[in-house]
Amino acid sequence: MHKFFKKKLSMVIFIFIPIIFLWHPNWIGFLHIQPYWPLFWLLPWSMINGPINGSIFGLFLGLILDSVTLDGNFTQIPGLILSGIWFGRINIDSDLLVGHFQYGLVCSLGSLICGTLYFLQILIKNFSDGTFLLFIPSVQNILAEVFLTGFFAPFICSKLFRLFKYSKEKSTIINFSNK
Amino acid sequence: MLDVRGISTSRWWHKKKTWMLIGVFLFLVFVRISKGSFYKDFYYFISKPFWPGQFQKEVIVKSTEQESLIKLNLLEKDNIRLREILNLQQSSDIETVSAAVISRKTGSWWRQLILNKGSIDGVEVGSPVIGPGGLLGRVENTSLFTSSVKLLTSPESKVGVWVDRIQINGLLVGAGYDYPNLILYSKDADIKVGDYVSSSPASTLLPPNIPIGIVLSVGETFQAKKTAKILLLAKPQAIDWVQILKEKF
Repeated sequence: MHKFFKKKLSMVIFIFIPIIFLWHPNWIGFLHIQPYWPLFWLLPWSMINGPINGSIFGLFLGLILDSVTLDGNFTQIPGLILSGIWFGRINIDSDLLVGHFQYGLVCSLGSLICGTLYFLQILIKNFSDGTFLLFIPSVQNILAEVFLTGFFAPFICSKLFRLFKYSKEKSTIINFSNK
Repeated sequence: MLDVRGISTSRWWHKKKTWMLIGVFLFLVFVRISKGSFYKDFYYFISKPFWPGQFQKEVIVKSTEQESLIKLNLLEKDNIRLREILNLQQSSDIETVSAAVISRKTGSWWRQLILNKGSIDGVEVGSPVIGPGGLLGRVENTSLFTSSVKLLTSPESKVGVWVDRIQINGLLVGAGYDYPNLILYSKDADIKVGDYVSSSPASTLLPPNIPIGIVLSVGETFQAKKTAKILLLAKPQAIDWVQILKEKF
């Protein structure tokens, strides 16, 4: 059992992302807004397994997170797929300090992409009845999320990157690309 | 015999990882179709030890009862008299279910509560959910043990409301932040800061006269519509216990 968890650690953590998303611990948040949790997993995973895996697991994450949220008209999938592809092409600097800063910056930009794409869907849906201007103040959601995601990413992503790399060495992990 | 094995293993359907991919994808499609019921029920069990305790419920119930009892008799008489004059439907005795909030997302785009009562307790999709202060939202979907409530602040929430002072119906639209917008389809509506907003007697989704909020600011008239920001009376970020109204409207 212990061996299994070591080998499939990234998958075990993947399964628990929606649980953290639902848990929504307020003491971490700011303006009742949380960091965008799925990116903390997606960044190290895509960096290790490449852009194809990044996009596929971005899709998977989007499917699950759309299921546990109630907004049937909007989806998180496009943002997560784009982030997955982009994260797969990134190499983090070997210098510890610069590397940590890069994790924060990359996750912030990923969160900005996801938040902006979600916001655009809301604007487009409400464009026809002329109420889309009422949604402009909710830009604060994107800004707070970008800040929090960038703030926590260096701590979480660097740890997960090391764990996933160790886990991958231990096993032939699911790899859908022919890398 | 020849080299059949070599040829056949090169086909995609003989690759283990392809089947794993299909398996994972089918599982996720199942999760999507079941609207995350599996995850919500799983969350129900692992969050059980952390649910709000009985003590807080008693404190809330006691304080709201004290306030309510003082007003109840006067309001009931007024209500019956006014409804007779206006020829409106009588409010019925509504059965309620108390539920604890086991997950709350009150910030960002996804504004929802997950409650520890589901279809097994008779909770139905569309039931209004109220907390101390007034209306919080409506049940959007249920799993066996949980129900998910779409809050009034959610970008997808739209409910009919009634502004009592000027006797006009409007639409309360959630906007993804803490203050939903009231849209009045009349540019001459004399709405003012401090006006009280409740659920509309004309609504088919909600029972009439549930308190909702107070007008916080009035916006510009735009395309023959008047808009206002509403301060909600019920605070979903602080409430641990809610009431689900079981009767459908």
